[in-house]
Amino acid sequence: MSQILDSYRGLQLGNRWDRAPKWFRTVALLLVVAFAFYLPFLNILPFAYIRTDLNPTGSDWASVLFLIVVYMIAAVGLNVVIGFAGLLDLGYVGFYALGAYSVALFGSPSSPVVQALQSRFDLSEEWAVPFVMCIPIAIAMSLTAGVILGAPTLRLRGDYLAIVTLGFGEIIRITARNLDNVTGGAAGITQVPVPPGPEIDGRSFFNTIDAERWYWLALVILILIVWLASRLEHSRVGRAWLAIREDEDAAAVMGVAGFKFKLWAFAIGASVGGLAGLLFGSKQQYVEPNAFMLNLSFLFVAMVVIGGSGNIVGVLVGAFLLTYLPERFRELQEWRPFAFGLALVLVMVLRPQGLVPSRRRAAEIEDRRHEAEEAAADA
Amino acid sequence: MDFDALINGLDRHTLDGITRGSIYALVALGYTMVYGVMKLINFAHSEVFMVGTWTVLGTYTVLGATAGMGVGMVIAATLLALLAAMLASAGTALAVERIAYRPLRKKGAPPLIFLITGIGCSLVLVETFGQVLRAFFGPPFGRVTVNIPSVIETKVVFTIPGIDLPVTNTRLLIIIGAIVMMIALDTFVNKSRLGRGVRAVAQDPDTASLMGVNQERVIMLVFVLGGAMAGVAALLFTIQYDITKFDIGFIIGIKAFTAAVLGGIGNLRGALVGGLLLGVVEVYASQIWDSSWTDVTAFIVLVLVLMFRPTGLLGESLGKARA
Amino acid sequence: MIRSSKTWQAVAFTAVAGLALSACGTTDTGGGSDGGGGDDCTFKIGAMGALSGANASIVIPSVDGAELALDQWDNDECDVTLERFDTEGDPAKATPVATQIAGDESFIGVIGGAFSGETRATKSIYQDGGVPMISQSATATDLTQEDPVEVFHRLVPYDDYQGAAIAKYLTDEVGASKVFVVDNSEAYGEPLADRVEETLGDAMVQRDKTQVGQTDFAPTISKMESAKPDAIFYGGYIAEAAPLLKQIRDAGIDVPFVGGDGLYGADFGKAVGDAGEGAVVMCPCAPIEADSTFAADFEEAYGGAPGAYAAEGYDAMSVFLAALDDGARTREDVLAFVNDYQGEGLSKDIAFDDNGDVPAEQVSYWAYKNEGGTLTPEVEVKPES
Repeated sequence: MSQILDSYRGLQLGNRWDRAPKWFRTVALLLVVAFAFYLPFLNILPFAYIRTDLNPTGSDWASVLFLIVVYMIAAVGLNVVIGFAGLLDLGYVGFYALGAYSVALFGSPSSPVVQALQSRFDLSEEWAVPFVMCIPIAIAMSLTAGVILGAPTLRLRGDYLAIVTLGFGEIIRITARNLDNVTGGAAGITQVPVPPGPEIDGRSFFNTIDAERWYWLALVILILIVWLASRLEHSRVGRAWLAIREDEDAAAVMGVAGFKFKLWAFAIGASVGGLAGLLFGSKQQYVEPNAFMLNLSFLFVAMVVIGGSGNIVGVLVGAFLLTYLPERFRELQEWRPFAFGLALVLVMVLRPQGLVPSRRRAAEIEDRRHEAEEAAADA
Repeated sequence: MDFDALINGLDRHTLDGITRGSIYALVALGYTMVYGVMKLINFAHSEVFMVGTWTVLGTYTVLGATAGMGVGMVIAATLLALLAAMLASAGTALAVERIAYRPLRKKGAPPLIFLITGIGCSLVLVETFGQVLRAFFGPPFGRVTVNIPSVIETKVVFTIPGIDLPVTNTRLLIIIGAIVMMIALDTFVNKSRLGRGVRAVAQDPDTASLMGVNQERVIMLVFVLGGAMAGVAALLFTIQYDITKFDIGFIIGIKAFTAAVLGGIGNLRGALVGGLLLGVVEVYASQIWDSSWTDVTAFIVLVLVLMFRPTGLLGESLGKARA
Repeated sequence: MIRSSKTWQAVAFTAVAGLALSACGTTDTGGGSDGGGGDDCTFKIGAMGALSGANASIVIPSVDGAELALDQWDNDECDVTLERFDTEGDPAKATPVATQIAGDESFIGVIGGAFSGETRATKSIYQDGGVPMISQSATATDLTQEDPVEVFHRLVPYDDYQGAAIAKYLTDEVGASKVFVVDNSEAYGEPLADRVEETLGDAMVQRDKTQVGQTDFAPTISKMESAKPDAIFYGGYIAEAAPLLKQIRDAGIDVPFVGGDGLYGADFGKAVGDAGEGAVVMCPCAPIEADSTFAADFEEAYGGAPGAYAAEGYDAMSVFLAALDDGARTREDVLAFVNDYQGEGLSKDIAFDDNGDVPAEQVSYWAYKNEGGTLTPEVEVKPES
């Protein structure tokens, strides 16, 4: 196992990538993107073995791809909080839920909120907030929640923040479950709106059957988010996060206002999570509280860390593997969670810097390993 | 909201809360000790507790213990189950440390990685009882709830005079058991030679190792002690609730971790205070509203406490926790 | 320079390999390439539900029952297979499954969803694909009453009926006038308890809510102690019912305990132990007589007595198979056949009204009593309609 990892390291893919000419990188990126768009139709052996619908009880390939991309968006958002700013957020599912609930609460004609608005303003029974308007609402709601949660708690030290955010995620889920006359309670909300589009064959463009269209939509959003996140990483804000993550006190002495930048990270991460939740809720056309259990928060954190916290490519790889593998190996049925746990331990023990680490992180770990060895030798 | 129900039976609800909180407190000790020494949240600790409950079931099955045995048999079976649960839980905690944490420590991995291996270990342990053992041995393993014989029959042993509050034997056992174990652990950490080592490493690992404290041994010791306490909690839990399940640890683990933070993580007495307080808050909330709001109330109380005391009620240092 | 030439080699090799392999052929990904056409009678029927996870024990017997019906089916012309799709009962995992089934024309019917949440999330997908569904156990009222779709049918009565039947049992059979109603705050228990509460009216003394995963029910017990009920109803699942019932009995509350179909199953007796003696479970599942061939056949095939909804699963499959016997070869034909179906089933006389429900007078609703760890049928209950 470690030999394989060593030979992989020997390839120095990261360095080669950096040294490759710019035109080559552009072409390669375009090819990757084009391939990603083509994926739902990938039907050429042997590559088609990655499809999830090969055996009779498999699940729809395009739907799985959609879910993968939605989780990738969430993971990129969480990476801003964990990877860039170094804050441990165990309640990320709360923002994801808020995004999904926003579009359901304001966009579905069967939601109690919409019905209350209808009777308050004498609107027709089909009236609901249009989907396009739900997007800013979802982002605003999750962003506001991020600030409200962050403002009092971001002064807490790392592990305290972890339990407080975990509690926040649970509060969102339980409140959604209990407030029957606002959120529809445990039964959830149906008729969640879909994005507008031309009708094809008598069905709306974004319908329940043609999942690849949803996948492409999510992919476009993912590309946008990845682009924004990578710009952010190398901006002034990104450097401030780096400084805070490495040594908050030193950063404060150098004039980097820790609290402000942490709150930024939290708010940005929250709104990206909300966007991912919105996509999920809209595709599902049904939102219910049990879709936002605590385990999903852990899964998001695992995606970020397994891939390589701080590195966007790594996080994408992590999100892909943790979503895709359980779906691809559905035939293993009840053994999947066990295998999943085992894999988490093995991968992390063998490769603590993540599968595709950020170079800075890998170097840090290498340093600390030497320190640990020296300390052991001293003792 | 029904404050009348709360006020009218305040003594009763407080006793209910303390019973519930005693279990949280014992499990919280495991989180707090490991955190105090290693600054690490041991996410697999909830499963250390779960293994303990299954061990109690196993011991009863081997002994053929059932409800309605003679007093001598009951005491013997309970003590054996206690011993077995403590051993099994401590062993599990130690195994988690060896497999998931020690290699990472050697590589100098950042704390986040420990969290993921902890979650991984937790999943492996849960699935061991929910799937792996079932595949090999069948029931009682699996994903269904399993009954554990009520070896100790619940009955009212005395009534607190003045407020006329009946106390059952199982409740009494849980509260006294939790407090006795707490005092024993506290005395051990504060008075014994090994305990001094624990406090030294918690205070300053580098200086401690210069002073000749074997850090690895201290780490093993805190995992064993924390595990054993979870084993005690497991026995008391099964006495009161009579069940186990593959994922029984999950919720109790989160509650216990909350309790540890509430009291001041890293602080033994904080775990007791946090556990009891959390239990009481939860029961009060269930009276004012109903049990579907307990978790929301508990987390809001946690946030409020942390806003005013950012390191929990009693502060966080294991090293400074002394009389 | 050496490096970049190596990169070039890699790119070229990948391109050549890709082209070479693309000539090897394509995979069959199901997308409607086989079955369906002409007189060819090769079809698949999907069963969708929680086949793994904590609630699998309420679902697996029904799918086994369906498979038994298929095994016993005598038809030389057709080749039908049952495909089991695990959703873990999670709506989010059920949607890709539904999209897959709807997109594959060789599926002419679906047995499920087993739970209401996943059914709610997927029925519009099946509607768009025109796939007829027969659910063996989804009971939420809105599925057929508020938001009906043409493809959805179910063999069990919905929550309104169940709530009324349970309330009737509590007042008439138990003779209770002060019922304490508890639910688990989830999509299953809460609406059921709401219906029980509605029908009971003044006969309910207090209502309380608990949570899934809860083990300590002391607050609920103390409410019971002050309310002094003469019967207790619990809408929820076995995992919480077991400790709840044990704590009720420990507190010396000896009144009858009645639960909904969430408690039905062989696991109930095992989980509650001695405290569960005499507890009653209400279920829209007809008792299977021990001397019927179904029980014996089931036991032989799956090594255990038929569990929850096994007869309903058997019936659902039988309706689909009857459609094929009748010459139906497309989803539209099967749907039309199911809509008009009338016949005697194992669980009840089957027919579907316009909303997809079995008419109330044909439903059989039973109270089972836990005696020595097994649920034995006690009495059939019919609410006034």
